[in-house]
Amino acid sequence: MRMPKRIKFRKQQRGVLKGNATRGNYVAFGDYGLQALEPHWISARQLEAGRVAAMHFLRRQGKVYIRVFPDKPISKKPLETRMGKGKAETEYWAARCKPGTMLFEITGVSEDVAKQALARVAHKMPIRCRFVGRRIAV
Amino acid sequence: MAIETPTINAEPRERLGTRYSQRLRKSGRLPGVIYGHKANPVAISVDEKETLAVLKRGAHVINVALEGGQPETCLIKDLQFGYLGDNVIHVDFARVDLNEEVEVNVHLRFVGVPESAKKPGSILTHPMTQLPVVCKVSEIPGEIKIDLSKMEDLFTVGEVPLPPGVRTKLAPHIIVAQVTFVAEEVVATPEAAEVTAAVPTEPEVITEKKPEAEAPADEKEKK
Repeated sequence: MRMPKRIKFRKQQRGVLKGNATRGNYVAFGDYGLQALEPHWISARQLEAGRVAAMHFLRRQGKVYIRVFPDKPISKKPLETRMGKGKAETEYWAARCKPGTMLFEITGVSEDVAKQALARVAHKMPIRCRFVGRRIAV
Repeated sequence: MAIETPTINAEPRERLGTRYSQRLRKSGRLPGVIYGHKANPVAISVDEKETLAVLKRGAHVINVALEGGQPETCLIKDLQFGYLGDNVIHVDFARVDLNEEVEVNVHLRFVGVPESAKKPGSILTHPMTQLPVVCKVSEIPGEIKIDLSKMEDLFTVGEVPLPPGVRTKLAPHIIVAQVTFVAEEVVATPEAAEVTAAVPTEPEVITEKKPEAEAPADEKEKK
């Protein structure tokens, strides 16, 4: 699963996911993409499940780009633990995702195949997503 | 090669600001602005469907007729997109002369499949879908057609067939299209499991203090 190689601090504050994505919100590398429509933390495990689902469907046909990286450590207290005693250890790594964030992109396949592959990826995501193509450019 | 210049009708916008722009969009109009050539900028609105149809055809130069007056030749300079990054909410038009030299991005249309891309596991990718070109306004091509059927593994900017009078500032070695091979998914084997076990499960913390066991050893030697 994906996670940073080097970090400055072991734990992070939770933060808030306000507003919409103003960067990484269009198809940049591939031909088609899967765009998030809700704010959420997407765990590295969910991203990996999406990647595997796409790769199994594509069977070495196209190229899949993952546009988000899980660089936020999420800590969780163990079960049946009393409150206090400091912040818990990191449980998993997550990517922050705002409405509009492009999660996955695909290239090298037809629109039909890309749509089917990204539909399988969307099922692995904890949020509503939509299929998009490249936008008009001048 | 250059496509015919379409003409769209525009109306001046008297009331400016977010609210009035939103009302315009709801009524099927698209807010925009015309500027350039040392004349005053004019806030306008154009028909959304008509403008988007022109944009999707790949037009760069448009004749904008303000209130049925004399059309002005304009270059589409910039587009603003909505919060999900795909719906156009504002258009910038820059006044231009037909003999003026401008820099624009032209769409690349790929035709044909190279022999190397027909092998199993190979993918034809095109990292570049638009090419920035410099040319006269009257010579802006609608699109550049690229035949990939004779390509081997790489197709670079230097090989792009540019129409006469059109040049690009990009270095000729930059890749436009390439055939890459996808590595097969590694099946889990005991050896692979050992390799994955060796990979650290936690990232390195660069600000963390290192254990003091090593540092005092040097100090002891000095003493």
